[in-house]
Amino acid sequence: MADIGRVRIRIPTSIKAGDVVKVRVLVIHPMEIVERKDGKPVDKNYHFINHVVVSYLDKEIAQFETTQSISENPFFAFAVKATEPGVLRVTFLDTHGGKYEGTADIKFS
Amino acid sequence: MTVPAGRRITRRNMLARGITHCEIFDARGSANRTMLGTSGVTRRKVLRTLAVLGGLGIVGSMPGAASVARAQGHLANLGPEEPVESTMKRLFGGRPIGDGASSITIDLPLIAENGAVVPVTVEWSGPMAPQRYVKSIYIVSDKNRRPLNAKFNLTPAVGLAYVGTNLRLGESTDVRAVIEMNDGTLLQAKRAVKVTVGGCGG
Repeated sequence: MADIGRVRIRIPTSIKAGDVVKVRVLVIHPMEIVERKDGKPVDKNYHFINHVVVSYLDKEIAQFETTQSISENPFFAFAVKATEPGVLRVTFLDTHGGKYEGTADIKFS
Repeated sequence: MTVPAGRRITRRNMLARGITHCEIFDARGSANRTMLGTSGVTRRKVLRTLAVLGGLGIVGSMPGAASVARAQGHLANLGPEEPVESTMKRLFGGRPIGDGASSITIDLPLIAENGAVVPVTVEWSGPMAPQRYVKSIYIVSDKNRRPLNAKFNLTPAVGLAYVGTNLRLGESTDVRAVIEMNDGTLLQAKRAVKVTVGGCGG
């Protein structure tokens, strides 16, 4: 099936200059949750995405701090004001040093 | 419209950091069986051998960066298990939080069949202007052991204070959205969701 780190970005098919578009993005990731043993949390380096950076036209426009209470294969939706054609880049960072990136081209039609 | 990933950690890298193939694919057992068919040599065995070889070589070369990165997921960095009142106090001090029920829309199912995946969206009806915009949206689930689910930091360039994600909820709870404006003003709204099967494991 899918590997950890595969990113899918969905943007609307037809965008006009100045539109505020809703973007949906998903990354394959286990988002490990805290294990409990005898009712107490087990200490280990849990593997989950804790940071998401969204950049548009090479400028950071949004940044999310995320926790283990976001579902496995985390999904995020957010808005972008499409001022110019250009690249939308979403980067996911996890607790094990993993860095996963996906891009989408914003084009006007 | 959909695009493949750019860079990503390879299996070999992950194995070098001590994450075995089993931990990655345990929840999706089918991944183990696809590649090598009926030969009897499983992916798991091959990768375990690679891990031993790879781990010896790679781990030694970058101890500093790797150990800082490794620490991030430990309990000490996760924030305490605490009641929601303590989380709210820790995040916002004693700052007044206004009632945002008329300007904040929270989309949340009434009943969530699966607490492990509960979709939520939060939208603020006002404009994102350079002088006054939503700087952060916090999503907090009252009954979770660690109530803060996520914090979304925005800039005027997003055009609309709208975020969505899928939450893990341990039990039926109120989910609240706290919106922080760039001038520090706080607004809050909340909705209740019934959770049939909790999504936080034990």
